[in-house]
Amino acid sequence: MDEHVRQQYPRYRNHFLPRTRAGAVATVLFMLVFACAQPPIVFLVANRIEPLVFGLPFLYMYLLALYVALIAILIWAQRRGV
Amino acid sequence: MEPWVIATGLIFAYLLVTIVLGIVANRRLAVDLEDFLLYGRRAGFIVLYLTVVATYHSAFAFLGSGGFFYTHGIGFWDAGTWTVLVGAITYVLGSRIWALGKAFDYITPADMLADFYESEAVRVLVAIVSVVFTILYIQVQAQGLGYIINVASDGRISFELGTLILLVVAAAYLMAGGLRAVYWTDVVQGVWMYIAVWVGALVVAFKVFGGPIELWTAVREQRPDLLSLPGPEGFFTPGMWFGLMVVLSFGIVFQPHMMIRYYTAASAKTIKWLGATTPIFLMTLFIPAALVGLGGAVALPDLDIPDRVFPELLFRYAPAWLTGVILAGATAAAMSTLDSILHSNMTVLTRDVYQRYIAKEASTRHYILVGRLIIGALLVVGYVLSVRTFEFLVVLVALSGAGALQLMPGIVGICFPTRFLFTRSGIIAGIAVGLVTLYLTLVVAPHPLGLHGGVWSVLANFVAVGGVSAFTKPPSVATVARIHGTVERFVYGETS
Repeated sequence: MDEHVRQQYPRYRNHFLPRTRAGAVATVLFMLVFACAQPPIVFLVANRIEPLVFGLPFLYMYLLALYVALIAILIWAQRRGV
Repeated sequence: MEPWVIATGLIFAYLLVTIVLGIVANRRLAVDLEDFLLYGRRAGFIVLYLTVVATYHSAFAFLGSGGFFYTHGIGFWDAGTWTVLVGAITYVLGSRIWALGKAFDYITPADMLADFYESEAVRVLVAIVSVVFTILYIQVQAQGLGYIINVASDGRISFELGTLILLVVAAAYLMAGGLRAVYWTDVVQGVWMYIAVWVGALVVAFKVFGGPIELWTAVREQRPDLLSLPGPEGFFTPGMWFGLMVVLSFGIVFQPHMMIRYYTAASAKTIKWLGATTPIFLMTLFIPAALVGLGGAVALPDLDIPDRVFPELLFRYAPAWLTGVILAGATAAAMSTLDSILHSNMTVLTRDVYQRYIAKEASTRHYILVGRLIIGALLVVGYVLSVRTFEFLVVLVALSGAGALQLMPGIVGICFPTRFLFTRSGIIAGIAVGLVTLYLTLVVAPHPLGLHGGVWSVLANFVAVGGVSAFTKPPSVATVARIHGTVERFVYGETS
């Protein structure tokens, strides 16, 4: 596309980057916690049965804790109007 | 009374409830296409919540997930990641889709893509992808229904007859009440399936092992291979873990029956709360599924068909009346997905094909009648696909899970304004390249380098969209300003 044609299009700030502090906190936290539930971290850190947590395997409880944290972040984001 | 009489009777009682709801919904139906197809865009939080979760979770969640835990072990707890991601996608992307639907009266996914990319070819292609890759789900759900009623009746009602009865009931209440009937029945179905899975799993855990903790202890002692990755058969490798997360979150959300639900929300607040809280239901349904699958692997180690672990455990260890209630819950899980897919396919065919190319200026009554006729035709197609085996379907079913993923670049290009614009040629090329890649990486050479074929296909799609878009004509300034401007104002307000 020619530059003079491109100039005619409206310009918006990047929608992939949060614009508020609460938005940035929610996004970074969500991505960090989500990364902990993905390879390689989950395979390297959490792929074991012991130590048991409340009698349940470590991997199961590790993931459950992450899932609860992710849901909490989403609810916090909604309550903060992100 | 014999157990099969109680189990079958409870399933038919449940079917009667859905028919009554369909009749009541019919009485509330206005002669309005938006009312018939989109619930008048006024679905509140509770109704929308339960229809979304009931639609997302199908017969697979009830029967297949237990089978997956049974065979592959704790790796299926990966399901939590994709269900949480569905919530985040709904929160971020679903709310934008809702805003655009409300602003420009979109009814189908193709409406939105065709409007932004200014292309009827995009509309047709998206409609084809929407229908082809979800009509196969009718087959999967209908087969699940036939199996459930066959098991509940102890073989007295054949698989074929069971499939037909349940398909006819779903089609009947959909024809009567449109999306309102689907939503109302989904409310009942969502609650029923959730309670049924939890109660069934806990009954099995207490009857067989003495409690959930004791169940986990027995699994740890007798089948420790089920409690670590990648599982006994090496299925849950890092690439498969990541790939399933992508395919079963984005791939499901972009299917028309899910996207249409975003359009129906009453407000932005409704859909954001939906995104924030749906993972609670979606994720926690896999907790009892783990009890069923892992407990079943210890209690019934030699099952030929692992997907049958839940009914097998129930018939052996649960009272007949409870087995009936729970199998009715399994029926609810399958029917809530089946009716939604029937509805979305009817909507796409009525709106994107019939109204656009065959009868542009007909009355609302006419379109509703055509929609009902299309449901009848889909019922016939669904039944034939369910009771007969077609070789080509084996391939299509393998592709279907990731088919809707091919709409991802087009939707992201609309909902996230950037300076680099995707073009109609780019979107068409991307979908074509994505589908070819999907075939190659799922059927010809499955999962290259251990990464799920769906991920390869969407990567190839994005590369093709970007490459072709760089050299072809973007949407007009007016369209970009209108649609991206709406997204900007919705997300950041007038002053940004």
